[in-house]
Amino acid sequence: MTDASAIRPGIRASLMTPDTRTRRRNAAEARFRLYGRIAIAIGLAALVVLMGSVLANGLGSFRQSFLTLEVHLDEKVLDKSGARDPEAMKKVTTIGYGKIVDAALKATIAAEGIVVEGLTDKDVSDMISKEAAALVRNRVLADPALVGQTVAFKVLANGRIDGYLKGRVTMDSAERDSNVSPRQLELADALVARGILAKSFNAGFITGPDASELRPEAAGMGIAILGSAYMMLVVLFLSLPIGVAASIYLEEFAPKNRFTDLIEVNISNLAAVPSIVFGILGLAIFINFAHLPQSAPVVGGLVLTLMTLPTVIISTRAALRAVPPSIRDAALGIGASKMQAIFHHVLPLAAPGILTGMIIGLAQALGETAPLLLIGMVAFVRDYPGGLFDPATALPVQVYNWTQRADPAFVERASGAIIVLMVFLLAMNMAAIVLRRRFERRW
Amino acid sequence: MDDMRLTERALDAGTTKIMARGVQVFYGDTHALRDVDVDILDRTVTAFIGPSGCGKSTFLRCLNRMNDTIPVCRVEGTITLDGEDIYDRRVDPVQLRAKVGMVFQKPNPFPKSIYDNVAYGPRIHGLTRNKAELDGVVEQSLRRAALWNEVKDRLHAPGTGLSGGQQQRLCIARAIATSPEVLLMDEPCSALDPIATAQVEELIDELRANFSVVIVTHSMQQAARVSQRTAFFHLGNLVEYGETGQIFTTPRDPRTESYISGRIG
Repeated sequence: MTDASAIRPGIRASLMTPDTRTRRRNAAEARFRLYGRIAIAIGLAALVVLMGSVLANGLGSFRQSFLTLEVHLDEKVLDKSGARDPEAMKKVTTIGYGKIVDAALKATIAAEGIVVEGLTDKDVSDMISKEAAALVRNRVLADPALVGQTVAFKVLANGRIDGYLKGRVTMDSAERDSNVSPRQLELADALVARGILAKSFNAGFITGPDASELRPEAAGMGIAILGSAYMMLVVLFLSLPIGVAASIYLEEFAPKNRFTDLIEVNISNLAAVPSIVFGILGLAIFINFAHLPQSAPVVGGLVLTLMTLPTVIISTRAALRAVPPSIRDAALGIGASKMQAIFHHVLPLAAPGILTGMIIGLAQALGETAPLLLIGMVAFVRDYPGGLFDPATALPVQVYNWTQRADPAFVERASGAIIVLMVFLLAMNMAAIVLRRRFERRW
Repeated sequence: MDDMRLTERALDAGTTKIMARGVQVFYGDTHALRDVDVDILDRTVTAFIGPSGCGKSTFLRCLNRMNDTIPVCRVEGTITLDGEDIYDRRVDPVQLRAKVGMVFQKPNPFPKSIYDNVAYGPRIHGLTRNKAELDGVVEQSLRRAALWNEVKDRLHAPGTGLSGGQQQRLCIARAIATSPEVLLMDEPCSALDPIATAQVEELIDELRANFSVVIVTHSMQQAARVSQRTAFFHLGNLVEYGETGQIFTTPRDPRTESYISGRIG
């Protein structure tokens, strides 16, 4: 027998006092833990700042300033013939309707007895959004019987007035701004005091189409949401079956040789290819070669499918590999064919992993902007897409678009769109977690 | 030595179920099994013993072509089941495995209900015409595996919720539900406690009435208890094959004697 004390002399110290070596090891561990905590704290702080700034900027966009006006729909202006023929009435443009709305506001100001020094007619008409005339016109054309009556309308206030109510525009900034005068802001104060001008929930921001540079108050992201939804459908229905089928083949059936190794390496590399490259590929193949329409969700969906496939394939293969081989052996040992073993036993066990990978891929595709810019989804679209082949835009592209515009009111819009995008992403990640919990099985 | 084996074979009472001649197995460049000749008899328990890595599991997996799933594995020689070469190109391994069932070292029930575990084989092979018949097969298989009384009230509980010994008996029930002719068992008791082992051994003895059972085991006591015939493998060679009693009492090869008496392993 060897004598232990001969190997490590001096180890007979009391257990109650740690020796220097132990102390040093403990100190190293404590330091390492501290570094970890600091890293997490920095990450969390960045997240809080980001979310805070987005929420602070963007929440305002969900509430908008509206004027409640009693508009007298004058027959002399809107329907000179008196026949209530919608075709004839269409000849009256928004300019005609604009005058009526302006008159309604002027009448309201007079009726309420509001006096603002030096207030011009232009000041009054600029209180109202250019969108208001279109709103009234659409209502009247849809229901010609309204002509001649006095109808209450809730119309959008001008973006600057909305900014004043939200604190973005002040008396000082109005002095220097050619688009808004301090007189208008005084008038706005008076209208707010009388309950004619007030903020309320703005459904148009979520459902409405985008608006031009001059009327940020009317801009919405309905088309962007719809376009993104169409693209996600395309991505889901293409990349899930293609990705899962490819993974099953590669993982379970394909022989292991140089060629399949090459394919594997390339799939991993594809996952790292910058997304804009996929945009160029989509432009070349789907639009220039296959002549699919520009700006269409189908092209966007196809490009995003190409981009998502590597992610789906990699995560599906990982999920398949994680199924214990004993399950495969069990099925094969009873005389199941390879395909039966896979479809009856391996795939159900891999399903949570596959679904999670798919949802992560979808979330990635939902937030992708660069390839969509190249295939024309950055276009200004006013008409709702009726299907996959109609022009549309996408949520992240809409955010990009709005941040490019000069009017500061669009900053709020962009942040609002980011909030909506993040809500969708959060919902998808929650779905991934729920699905994983639901399908998770032990073996 | 070959002569001795030939005389022994002449004495065999049972009919030959599986006949292996000159079987060689390679894993890539490794020659894992050399020149194995074995006759496995019908309605007999045959035990394969030998130290780890001696090729006994490899040979067992040749008998139902489970080695096909290993890409680098290559099998030479002939193995016949009832006189038909199982490595013939026309043989579908799927059909072969329905006839030659297998129970693995680690209990591996499917993460499904007990009923579905047993019913899976009959379902994929279309052995039953209706639900009542399937129910019958499930019950009969569970009874033969000595598990029926323990699980008859919870057939739809997950099979993975059973204890280790119960899981292994469930796997045996699953294997016999397809009415195989040969049952291969790869160390079926190595993951079980002594009580569960005793139950499974008792079961193996009962199964002999209907099947030819081949069992790989590390425990010589187990081989002595359950088998009628024993084959001793060492370093990829079949050293000795004969009546279990003879192998354990009067081994003819010095290596067998050393192994049985615990000198090599």
